[in-house]
Amino acid sequence: MPILETQNLTYVYGEGTPFRIEALKNVNISIEKGELVGVIGHTGSGKSTLMQHLNGLLKPTSGKVLLGGEDIHASKEATRAARFRVGLCFQYPEYQLFESTVYKDIAFGPRNMGLNETEIRERVQRAAEFLEIRSDWMDKSPFDLSGGEKRRVAIAGVMAMQPEILILDEPTAGLDPRGRDRITDMICKYGLSTGSTVLVVSHSMDDVASFASRILVMDHGQNVLGGTVDEVFRQVDKLVSMGLDVPQLTKIFLRLQASGVSVRTDIYTLAQAKRELLRLFFEKGGTA
Amino acid sequence: MIKDITIGQYFPGNSLVHKLDPRAKLVLTFVYILLIFLCKNFVSLGILVAYLLVSVLLSRISVRMILKSLKPIVILVCITSVLQIFYNSDGTVLWELGKFKLTTGGVFMALFTTVRIIALVTASALLTYTTSPTLLTDAIERLFSPLKRVHINVHSIAMMMTIALRFIPTLIDEVDKIMSAQKARGADLDTGGIVQRGKALIPVFVPLFVSAFTRAYDLAFAMECRCYRGGEGRTRLRVMRLRARDYIVFLVTAVCVAGIAVANRLLPAVI
Repeated sequence: MPILETQNLTYVYGEGTPFRIEALKNVNISIEKGELVGVIGHTGSGKSTLMQHLNGLLKPTSGKVLLGGEDIHASKEATRAARFRVGLCFQYPEYQLFESTVYKDIAFGPRNMGLNETEIRERVQRAAEFLEIRSDWMDKSPFDLSGGEKRRVAIAGVMAMQPEILILDEPTAGLDPRGRDRITDMICKYGLSTGSTVLVVSHSMDDVASFASRILVMDHGQNVLGGTVDEVFRQVDKLVSMGLDVPQLTKIFLRLQASGVSVRTDIYTLAQAKRELLRLFFEKGGTA
Repeated sequence: MIKDITIGQYFPGNSLVHKLDPRAKLVLTFVYILLIFLCKNFVSLGILVAYLLVSVLLSRISVRMILKSLKPIVILVCITSVLQIFYNSDGTVLWELGKFKLTTGGVFMALFTTVRIIALVTASALLTYTTSPTLLTDAIERLFSPLKRVHINVHSIAMMMTIALRFIPTLIDEVDKIMSAQKARGADLDTGGIVQRGKALIPVFVPLFVSAFTRAYDLAFAMECRCYRGGEGRTRLRVMRLRARDYIVFLVTAVCVAGIAVANRLLPAVI
């Protein structure tokens, strides 16, 4: 049974005003335990709205969100429980920091869960480890950190709640390339070592290709494509027509193929590219 | 929830009311409100209501939006009309219960006041519905520019109003976002007593103030980068000019004012 599932999820903003927008139309997705899912889509495609439904922040206009097979809007308690079971980290989460010290800020979520001090300390420490937050930051004010550091503290704040499902909305937006890679790596490591389910919304096809075991594509409020990295990025034309793209590396190999070199085009990561290029190199008679 | 507030909202459109000179609209609304207080009987009130109805129809703002703007005053209207009904004991008695007397005078008064309040709110709602905040503050600046003589910096005040109005939706969005983010971390914002709720708002207000100040600094920088140095010698992109349609509306309004004056003079007053 999928751990998280939506059934005919529809959401309308501003019903009854001139600004009525159908943000989600009949979205049906299902997510298995332990998956690393990448969610891609153009701006305004409904990705963020969908994410806010998954932990019960938004209530669907029609349709259901099932967490472990149960409707999260069945009762008030179920909705509140869903908040803790599904951790949602918003876009630019550094703007949610408010406490006087980094430690207190990361502990905010666990404290709201009503845990005892030792448990809170343990969870904060663990989350800080994943995001490489140095112990000497713990007593600093979060407002004294740099942008990228704040971002990591904010993500740790959600991670420390140890949700069964962690959702990150564009965790790397606005960071420099190295910062992006670092955060992507940290999230990946977190997902693999804890066995939690992780959903990452992203604009960057390269990022998604590097970590996701499955990809969901949103367009105009609908889930139009879904499948493994290969299944999704194989449909280049469809993606381009939605204003999306394939990873940079894939583009290179597509160009190579178009200019007559016989290469595979299912290349999405640096490791795959290296292997394929070496294969080509040896095939053409090169030596190591 | 916060987004449901309609007062002060602007609905873009292309109607005659939208296109009127904002200064004209501002003055007309002011005159209209004045007239509401000056009219004394149902005929003059009728003229005012008709004037408003025509304006609403011309603006093509949906009736539902107008009704929405009236929602917050429902209680006020109810209380005042109930008070009016029993306070006034003129005219013939319709119904009596001990000390309470329901008279025709009371009913008329209640009706009169209700219509007045509704017209007042609708007129001001119509102004903001059909005029963008920028145009509105522009108009205020122009109308009050004579105050420069007495060393009141009208331009700065208008600029501050523009900025404040401009950032209300931005900050509302921001509050929404921060509230969602903190709720996602398990913050309980909707239950508990006053003290508890006040405390629960700290995680919302601290980030809000931090970002509001950052925004203010950024905006000041951006304005200086574009050589903003106050109103001195500043020219406008949109020069406001009264057009034929404005004069026609003035004329129609003048006729209505004359009508109300005559009705007030010739017919018996309700109040």
